[in-house]
Formats: sequence, structure tokens, C-alpha cells
Amino acid sequence: MQRISYFILAAVFLGAQAHDAAAVTLHAAGSTTVLPVVSTAAAAYHRQHPDVTITVSGGGSGVGIASMIQHTADIGMASREIDAEEAAKLNGKVDVLTIAKDAVAVVVSKAVYVGGVHQLSLRQIADIYRGKIKNWETLGGPDAQILVIDKEASRGTRHVFAEAVLGDAHARAPGASVISGSNNEEQALVAHSDQAIGMLSNAWLNDDVRGIAVGEGNKAIFPDIGHVRDSSYPISRSLHILLSKKGPPEAREFANFLLSPQGQAIVKKSGYLPVR
Amino acid sequence: MLNLWMRTSALISLLVVVVMLGFLLQQSWPYWQHDGLNPLLSGDWYPYEHLFGLAAAIIGSFWAALIALAIAIPTGLAAAVMSTEILPGPWRSLMRSGMELLAGIPSVVYGLLGLWILLPLLQSNLHLLTGHNLLAAGLLLSVMVLPTIMVMTQDALCEVSSHQRDTAASLGMGWSARLWRVLLPQAWPGIRSGILLALGRALGETMAVMLVVGSMDRIPDPWYNLLAPAQTLTSRIGREIGESAFGSMHFSALMACGLLLALITITISMLAHIRSDKISVNRP
Repeated sequence: MQRISYFILAAVFLGAQAHDAAAVTLHAAGSTTVLPVVSTAAAAYHRQHPDVTITVSGGGSGVGIASMIQHTADIGMASREIDAEEAAKLNGKVDVLTIAKDAVAVVVSKAVYVGGVHQLSLRQIADIYRGKIKNWETLGGPDAQILVIDKEASRGTRHVFAEAVLGDAHARAPGASVISGSNNEEQALVAHSDQAIGMLSNAWLNDDVRGIAVGEGNKAIFPDIGHVRDSSYPISRSLHILLSKKGPPEAREFANFLLSPQGQAIVKKSGYLPVR
Repeated sequence: MLNLWMRTSALISLLVVVVMLGFLLQQSWPYWQHDGLNPLLSGDWYPYEHLFGLAAAIIGSFWAALIALAIAIPTGLAAAVMSTEILPGPWRSLMRSGMELLAGIPSVVYGLLGLWILLPLLQSNLHLLTGHNLLAAGLLLSVMVLPTIMVMTQDALCEVSSHQRDTAASLGMGWSARLWRVLLPQAWPGIRSGILLALGRALGETMAVMLVVGSMDRIPDPWYNLLAPAQTLTSRIGREIGESAFGSMHFSALMACGLLLALITITISMLAHIRSDKISVNRP
């Protein structure tokens, strides 16, 4: 969906630019979790370097990594680590730069949260995704069937979540009721339901989409930046930018910009934890 | 010069079909080589476990297209008969332009309308966990293929000669007899083309279906359960093609989905040709 509908022209040429001989257009693709940071940064970078335009599109971490393998983008975005199969195809030709950290929140619909579900243990979440728990009432919530939202297999959020909850990034989730793609799609699904559970970066939470605490008893931890910083939240991860070693130098300069104080300020403003 | 241009164009259109099929076959070859035709019967699609069963998506595609046609054929026929035979001129052209407008709406718009309006309606009225299902896909597709069926039927009805109409009327045939015995049979070749074109579009539609079908790789259980999230061939290709590395087994399996779709559509249109040849031979 987002490959087409989420296409954002991060910075646009201003009408009468006569000197576009030196102009460079870079394309970034991949994780929709990393996307807000990169598109905001791309607009800021374009203001400082009018000859560099960066277009940004989503698709998910799998697409970001595949775009590096197939040379279809200059900058890859990924919200998970590169797996062995992908690493073999990349063959060391790509640099991975960590630009931020975030928490993968376990999210529920507002009605579920208000109905009494404020925290779940990893085991309970796993039981929901394995189809062993089917009603919110079992978990102290309203009497409603659970709408279990899984994500497309290649999505970074899915990898990190499944690894932490189900023990394997590619584990099957037989309890799933529907598959979503981008963060927007996931957010909309949860917001439009009264009985949903899903997985979403902590920066995408809002009044309709509530993050719950993860853990046992009074040790349960809420998914916020403070708990990512002190590594206490169990489903945290790093957000990456991928650069081809032989790629254009402008892409590398843009990556440096992301790691500069100004770039890191954008990371913070987007709701993620800066790395510098 | 004109002649050369026409010949080249004809050759190019032919080549496009051959090249496209050749490409799909070549790219999906590793997949067919690996498992033969077994995956056609298996519903398990787990790319990371190297399981690429196509049954769930094939069944989903057929169900969605079937629902679409089941709604669009009677509606389209009735609307076409109404507008060509009953309504006065201004209304007729109004309906016609309305249908043409409907046909011009991009599919992603239909998909978003489905996502925001149809799914919540289905969810609340049928008390479902989620509105994402084959019924939603079928309903959306029926609106999308309606113009094809209606416009083609209108054209076919208009071509029934006034001679035939007059004869039928002078024989004292009633309105319903004229409709069933003269108008529809005479217009049938055109109507059938419309239906087949509509079927092709329903099977091949990606964007709108992808947004509402739920993308779950499960065979409907029981087989007539249209109210659970499911998958179609097109929506699977749309969701996964970006992430699959060119040349991998995953990519090859997706190309196999594409090849199947292409073969089905080509078979349908060839069937249509064979049948229409027969009919035109039999016609006086």
C-alpha cells in the first residue's frame, strides 16, 4: 500500500533553478518506523543544501534491505537487524548506521485499555498470538473476542516483536486474525476496533491506540523513551540507515547529518531515543 | 508507410504477450522445478520456512471474483435494460456518463472508500471481529466491474436492430417475452464479452482488494466462509514483491502467482473467442 500511497516527495525543486547541473536526487526506502525521521531530516537537509533532493518511500524494513541488495535506493531504512540470508546477499557491501532507538509497544484499542487491560506478561501476549487466549475477559478486560493483528513477515517491527514474544523472528502466529503492513495501517486498524491488539513503535501511540506495560506483576514496564534509555523495556531495538559502500557521497553526508546534533534533535522530536 | 506502421504495431502487441509470458515462466521456473504442481494444493504460505502453497490465494481470488460477478451481472444487466429500453433520452445519457465516471475512478480510491466506509459497516452490522474479508473484496469489486458490464450490455442492446424489435412487437409479444426471447439473446455476444472483461478485471485487481481482504494466507474454513480474512493472488504479489530479492525462491513463487493469473485470464479470453466464433457462424 505505502509503496504507492505513502510516496512522499520530501523536498521539492523550487521552480526556476537554472543551475541544476550539480543537482543530486537521492532515494530512501524501507521501514515506516524510520521514515518520519528521514523525511523530516530530508526536508531540513534540502534547505541547507538546495542541490540535494531526497525522496522517501516506505515499504518496510524488508523492502529497505532488499533495495540495498538490488540497488534500487541510495539509502535503506531498517528497524531491525539484517538476517543471515540478507547478509549473505549484501556480502559486506553495505554500511549499517544506527541513528536512533525505540520501543516496540504492545498496543491495544482504547476500549480494551479503559476496560481494564493495562499490562500483559510476555507469556500472555504469546498465548494471544498463538491462539490460546481468545477473549479479553480472560485477561481482566471487557468480554470481547481479541482481534489479533499480525504484520507482514518482512516488517522490522514484526521481527523484533516475534523474537521477543514468540522466541523466533519468523515464528508463525496461528492466533492472528488479520495482517497489516505499514505503521499507519496498523495504527488505523487498532484505532478502528474496540478489541484489537497489535505491535507499533512507541512514537505512534495516541489516545485511541494505547501502549500497555509488558512484564509480570509490579515489574511491568511501559513502552516509553525513559525505559528504552535504561534498557528496562523488554522489546527495544535500534533503528538503522543502510548505505552502499560504493554509493554516492551525498548519501553519506546526509547520514552524517542524521547523526549530527541537528539530525539527532529530529530523532528526538519524532519520539525516538537519540543515539548521540 | 501506414501499412508498415500497422504491421509493426501488430507485431509489437503480439510480442508483448509472448515476452510477458516468457518472463513470468522463466522467473517462476525454479519454483515449478522445486515442487512441481504440489503447491497448487497446499494452503501453507510461509516464505521464511520456504513453504509456498498457493491454494489459499487461488481460492480467495476465485471467491472474490465470483461474488463480484454474482452482484454485478444482474445489476449491470438490469441497469442497462432500464436505461436503453425504458428511460427517456436525457436520463439514458445521464446514466451512461455516470457509469463512465464510475469506470474512471482509480482503484486505490475504491480501496480507501472500502477501508473507511465498507469495512466498519460490515464489522458492526455482521458483528465481525474485523470487516477485512472476501465478502468486502467481492462487494468492492462488484462496484468496480459494474460499469464494464453495464456499458457493454448497453452497447449490445443498442445494436439489436429495430427490425427485430418491430417484428417481435408485431407478433404481439409482451414486454418480458421480448426482453427474454429477443433482446437479451440477440445482445448476448456483447453481454458475454462484458462479463468476461469484468471477470478479468475482478481477478486482476490489486490495490483495492489488498486494502480490504485481510491478507491472511488461510483457506476459508469451512470453504464457504466468506467472512474471515483471506488472501488473493494479486494482493499477495502486491504485499510481498518489494521485499523479495530478485532471483530468490520467494520472488520465483510470486512470479508463479503472476503466471497463474496471466494464464487464467488468457484462457478466459480465448474461451470467449472460440464461443463467439461459433455463434457468429450459426447466425444467419
